[in-house]
Amino acid sequence: MRTRVANIVLPVLGLLAVLALWWLATIVFAIEEFLLPSPGDVLAAFGEYPGYLLEQTWVTLLETVQGFGLSIVVGIPIALLIVTSPILERTIYPLLLALNAVPKIAIAPILVVWLGFGPAPKVLLVFLVCFFPVVISTASGMKSTPAELVELMRSLDCTRRQEFFKLRFQYALPQIFVGLKTAVSLAVIGAVIAEFVGASAGLGFVIVSSGSSADTALAFAAMGLLGVMSIVLFYGLAYLERRLLPWAEEHR
Amino acid sequence: MIVVERVSRVFDGKAEPIVALDGIDLEVGEHEFVAVIGRSGCGKSTLLRIVAGLLAPTAGRVLVAGEPVTRPRRDVAVMFQRPALLPWRSVLGNVLLPVEVHGLDRQKHIARAHELLELVGLAGFAARLPHELSGGMQQRVSLCRSLIQNPAVMLMDEPFSALDALTRTELSAELQRIWWEHPRTVVFVTHSVEEAVVLADRVAVLTPRPGRLHELVEVDIPRPRTAHTARVAAVSGALHELLTGE
Repeated sequence: MRTRVANIVLPVLGLLAVLALWWLATIVFAIEEFLLPSPGDVLAAFGEYPGYLLEQTWVTLLETVQGFGLSIVVGIPIALLIVTSPILERTIYPLLLALNAVPKIAIAPILVVWLGFGPAPKVLLVFLVCFFPVVISTASGMKSTPAELVELMRSLDCTRRQEFFKLRFQYALPQIFVGLKTAVSLAVIGAVIAEFVGASAGLGFVIVSSGSSADTALAFAAMGLLGVMSIVLFYGLAYLERRLLPWAEEHR
Repeated sequence: MIVVERVSRVFDGKAEPIVALDGIDLEVGEHEFVAVIGRSGCGKSTLLRIVAGLLAPTAGRVLVAGEPVTRPRRDVAVMFQRPALLPWRSVLGNVLLPVEVHGLDRQKHIARAHELLELVGLAGFAARLPHELSGGMQQRVSLCRSLIQNPAVMLMDEPFSALDALTRTELSAELQRIWWEHPRTVVFVTHSVEEAVVLADRVAVLTPRPGRLHELVEVDIPRPRTAHTARVAAVSGALHELLTGE
């Protein structure tokens, strides 16, 4: 119970301390609002357009979640193929590595050229950012299944399918969640980058357009919302993990 | 029930091939309990894995119930040194794993699973997860899992060697009782001479490099047997000599 309270109180305290320092800095050094708005200015900016900001948050959230979901739907089967077939692994792995090495910011404008200004290029960029951690964590999790468990399944004369779905995939789940948590924090960044390049909605768009009109407080409000979104997505996954895999924490 | 015919197994070594088993001949009758002992590296686990159909012999063949073994059989259960429980499955779920893998009706076996758990003193633990159990309890679950389908043959690869001495004696006594009440064909690999003498009808002594069948010793002691009795000690002593006096 005490640790649970501490788990909530400590991060809140940390956040409050940073906010206080920030506020203090803007007052003590008399920083101009368009350079660094105080927390109060940011809150005021949010209070001015709450409906608009929440709408833009929804747009970005949708892009993020769709791209993230797509990376799971595509990434896990590909990881399965990689683990099943060493030939396929050697064929696909270098390509995946190369794909991952390409800076996503460089792809973003091309995606806009290909797919237009709608949500499609954002979803795709989020997908590209998330895909790699999902595949790697799933594949390495399935490969790390202990030999004794594999031998047990084989001694039961299991099919290949059973070996994968009753054993390897389940064993990999905690590691898959590590990959998912990495991916989801990258996903928000991916969505914002795509919106920077060409968009008419979303928090990334808000940041770019408020920057050009020197409305820094609004940009900060948008960034704050992005932060909240990241935290909610991350802890949502962590919660899901604890609910779905009660065995994992004790076992590892 | 089990016939091992001139079985050899060679592994690729770094410098030269390693002969793990060299021309093993062994017959195990129906409902007979045979223990296989030997120093580590004598190939006793290799032999068991070949009988289980988990490993192919380089030469020779194994028959179970008159049929050559080419892959794991459903009427043969294997029990390993470690419990090998799936950590996300409850105790009951682990015991029922073979039933599911073999595509049988899970519901019909639940009562039997509870019976088995009771038999090994784990009634009331069915819903627990493996990590909540001690090592000895986990190995008991593993024993239930190998008994769930009433296998004709049980292959046990040093099943108690990872346990502390007390738990080990306890489990060995339980196995003796279970086997006595429901006899079945058992091949039991161990490096403990006393364990072999307490449990087995016959003891096969393997010698290492290359793994050969050195001697087959009949254990003619009435059951139930316990360690630390004069007769068990006498046979154990003789076996010790066989193992060390090469």
